[in-house]
Amino acid sequence: MITLENVTKSYGSFQVLRGCSAKIEKGEVVVVCGPSGSGKSTLIKCINALETFESGQIYVDGTAVRSAGTDHSMLRAKAGMVFQSFELFSHLTILQNIMLAPRIVQKRETTEIQALAETLLRRVGLERHANKYPIALSGGQQQRAAIARALAMRPDVMLFDEPTSALDPEMVQEVLQVMTELAREGMTMMCVTHEMGFARQVATRILFVDAGEIVDDCRAADFFAGRCSERAQVFLRYEAS
Amino acid sequence: MQIWSWHGFFTYLGSPYIFRGALLTLGMTAVSMVLGFFLGLLIAVMKRSPQPWFSWPARFYVWFFRGTPLLVQLVVIYAGLPKLDIRLSVMACSIIGLTLNEAAYLAEIIRAGLNAVPAGQIAAARALGMSERQIAWRIAFPQAFRLIIPPLGNSVNGLLKTTSVTSVISMEELMQRSQILVQDQFMVLELFSVAALYYLLMTTAWDFFQRRIEHFAERPYRRQQRVIPEAVMELPISSQDAR
Repeated sequence: MITLENVTKSYGSFQVLRGCSAKIEKGEVVVVCGPSGSGKSTLIKCINALETFESGQIYVDGTAVRSAGTDHSMLRAKAGMVFQSFELFSHLTILQNIMLAPRIVQKRETTEIQALAETLLRRVGLERHANKYPIALSGGQQQRAAIARALAMRPDVMLFDEPTSALDPEMVQEVLQVMTELAREGMTMMCVTHEMGFARQVATRILFVDAGEIVDDCRAADFFAGRCSERAQVFLRYEAS
Repeated sequence: MQIWSWHGFFTYLGSPYIFRGALLTLGMTAVSMVLGFFLGLLIAVMKRSPQPWFSWPARFYVWFFRGTPLLVQLVVIYAGLPKLDIRLSVMACSIIGLTLNEAAYLAEIIRAGLNAVPAGQIAAARALGMSERQIAWRIAFPQAFRLIIPPLGNSVNGLLKTTSVTSVISMEELMQRSQILVQDQFMVLELFSVAALYYLLMTTAWDFFQRRIEHFAERPYRRQQRVIPEAVMELPISSQDAR
């Protein structure tokens, strides 16, 4: 589904990503973790071309990301993204937020989108908020709406960039709940998060990133059983405390 | 000569000649504002472009039209165009001058609005596969518009009065007509008071409209829909597994 080959990127003299390679199969739930500033977010944003990278290649469903001929619009429609601070369009209602891109980007039938939007809103528990504006919703509700907005594009893979970092513990749970359900339904997911509980329960694989390198790429069970690099073990000890 | 003539004041207040002058002022303001807004939008977008062949002409435009007096611009248009064998009415010259001048100021206002649209929402739109054009029209412009209503209101208000500068190319708007009548009966105070009253009337009407527009644009940003207990009631996490 997603193949990263030697992805390298720098901001000036600072190297954010140093030759990151990994392969994510269909149906996998991959949690990307590591200390702040290690390049996790940059890495995940390279996948849907929100960030550029200088060398290496990423393939999403066989399509090369860093290529002049690539239609980024098509690529992004395949990979739904959820952001740390929700980023719902503040001038549109929740329903309009969800329906906009399928309508104007994918040019799908309005009636079909509307039906799907309503189903998705029910799934994330927001059916009664469809006609409200984002400002009227709590952070957890906004994030669930943002997940619904990404799902409305019928993506093949979902990318989460610290989806719960801006939320209080109660709201974290309601968002993780939605993400867990999504994983159980077989959605391919790549998730940058500090929620180790979620990683333990839901992830099939862990990518541990430090200083722009993928230090560990292993099964979640192995990772949490301590069969990982020393650097990751130190990190895990801090997360546990 | 008496100090103040109420008779004169009311005569001029009811004068169709002055009234039509006020209508011309209003019309010129409306037309130049609308045209200036779209030209300003174009210039603002160009000025924000990373491509120098877009941004430099826009920067030059703003530099030039903000850096020279409107009066000079009007005279150049009025006296210069016929030399290129382009003959336009005084009205057309006035509107062109006002539009070109206003667009430079509006471009900067619009640019401020576009800069203030949250970058995260633009990234989200991009992540949803929207093209730059779609992002501009669907996300950036609507949000920027709300932000720039107050300074835009300033511009409309200012332009209503700035139109009087067109009198230098003999445009017979409210101010010019007042001055013409002054030479007739020398009732300077009465006439200019009538003119001032008309300006006040027009700016007051604009105030009213601006408030309506603001009220409409602020609708998505009012929190009043919020009901606090809902957040707790509406997501029974335990029952979700049952579904």
